[in-house]
Amino acid sequence: MTDVTAAPIEGYVPPKRDSRPLLDRLSECWTDFEARLEQVPILQALAAGDVTLEDYHRLLHNLRQQVVDGSLWIARAASNFDMDHFDLRSAAISHALEEHRDHLLLQRDYLAIGGSLETLRAGRKNVGSQALSGYMFHVASQPNPVGCLGAMFVIEGLGAQKAGEWGRRFADVLGLAERQVHFMIYHAEADVEHTGTMDAFLTSDRIDADAADAIVSCAKVVARLYVMQLTELDEV
Amino acid sequence: MGSGTATAYLTGIGRYLPGEPVGNDEVASRLGGVDKRTERIRRRIQNANGIHQRYYAMDTDGRTTELNEELAAKAVHAALADRGMGADRLGMLACATTQGDLLVPGFASMVHGRVGGGPMQVLTATGVCASSIAALDAAVSKVRLGEHARAAVVGSELASRWLHQRRFDGVEDHLDAHFLRWMLSDGAGAAIVEFQPRPDRPSLRVDWVRHISLAHEHEVCMRAGLDGDVLEAGRTWQDFDDVASAERAGLMQIRQDTSVLGELAKVGLAQFEELVDLGLVDLAKLDHVICHYSTNAFRDVVFDALAARVPGFDATRWFSNLETCGNTGAASIYIALEEAWRTGRLQPGETVLLAVPESGRFSFGFAHLTVVEPRSARSTDR
Repeated sequence: MTDVTAAPIEGYVPPKRDSRPLLDRLSECWTDFEARLEQVPILQALAAGDVTLEDYHRLLHNLRQQVVDGSLWIARAASNFDMDHFDLRSAAISHALEEHRDHLLLQRDYLAIGGSLETLRAGRKNVGSQALSGYMFHVASQPNPVGCLGAMFVIEGLGAQKAGEWGRRFADVLGLAERQVHFMIYHAEADVEHTGTMDAFLTSDRIDADAADAIVSCAKVVARLYVMQLTELDEV
Repeated sequence: MGSGTATAYLTGIGRYLPGEPVGNDEVASRLGGVDKRTERIRRRIQNANGIHQRYYAMDTDGRTTELNEELAAKAVHAALADRGMGADRLGMLACATTQGDLLVPGFASMVHGRVGGGPMQVLTATGVCASSIAALDAAVSKVRLGEHARAAVVGSELASRWLHQRRFDGVEDHLDAHFLRWMLSDGAGAAIVEFQPRPDRPSLRVDWVRHISLAHEHEVCMRAGLDGDVLEAGRTWQDFDDVASAERAGLMQIRQDTSVLGELAKVGLAQFEELVDLGLVDLAKLDHVICHYSTNAFRDVVFDALAARVPGFDATRWFSNLETCGNTGAASIYIALEEAWRTGRLQPGETVLLAVPESGRFSFGFAHLTVVEPRSARSTDR
């Protein structure tokens, strides 16, 4: 029998494990995510001050269909952490609790701009939201799904660093009241807190090389799917 | 986001005037009062107030043909139709009237019941003419706060049933009850308030609303329901042995102390000067004044005063339809605004001051509007 591991195949170099610190790798993901967000049509229009109320209406409507799932996959992840990951389980349970009323904020904004509750609740996930939500339930269903931290890095980071800016921009361009952009503004405040908690996990010793890879990979997928969700508005 | 509040726009305006227009000589066919003395008084007052046409929800037999709430609901529907939307889109209904149909419950509840739509906030602003601006202020404030995307505000009056001869027969004669008898009439006007300008046509941006009472330094000037001049327990219409005796004593007539009206005009102009002092009105950029007043005597006083203050102010920038629509109290400012708007007097970029002095106990309502173009369509398509 030939020893398949004996000689490297010529011209092929197996990927090296990325040994840089996790936060550096995530920071690179974030930069890449920001660049992708800049290509999203509705965000380009927002930056240009070229949005209408219908755009804001549509964005809230699309986001809501996925936001209602947020606390569910976090709770599922919580249920899959064993006793060796008790601290992560605790954190996930707390976080699910914080998130599970989030869509109600969005709903109030939606009503405040004249949207109908029936329409909002009858909405379906767009193709990006379906992919994002489906992927997150998949990751969260694995034993000890530490990769979820990568998803949270992206989603909470978006809330902390982007949502507030979007909310204020929509308010400026469309002349909206604070309570019509509360969901986005609230995230800017609350998610700064959440990201602080998460940074403590990401820098702790318990994140070994495999865990770091899983986190980075999950962050990359979530960043791409989130962009898809924002791009494929109303594509159901 | 600056102030954290949205901007409010008037996006639809409607009015409802019941029945056929009634000329001066036909007024007695509705309200009665055909004796020589009453006729003489009527003609004198009609000549002074300058009204030559008005509307009554009252037929030639003196029967009331519609409810006040019906007038209000029809004006709201007219405003909704002007905007092209249904009542189900409204989050709030603010109603101004001097006297609803019922003593209980509140007028706005009754109007909502008739207008339909969905669940909504209701507000009844009772008062006299300036209650129209109090209701507007409430609706505009709630829209600016982002609590309602759309509200309707309506002013309506059904004064005729208070003015009919049966309110005068067998009642102590009070000359001060005749002034309003031949001046007030029926009607309703409404506006839709939204946080965005309408996309298809110009809207009226509400720059500010101001409502001020000076009751702390003025006595009652226009009243019903009080025996004599002194307000104390036991002397209102609700304290008599029965309502009939209150009516016989003249408490169910609307009476005006006309000797104070000169002071009302003076104080009103001082209020206008205060708006200028505070920078709320820019004399160099005041294009239109739509003013409610009860009689043309005031028109001349106020118009001359404004012409002296506002550069280039002339009759084309002053609007009232008192002469053709009558004095409809809380409804009048909307009935006038509706006509000015519908007939194209107000052009994009122009400013409009609504002014509503109320003699009741010296209240003043003002609102400053700017005509804005539809929000420009997006330049790129997504």
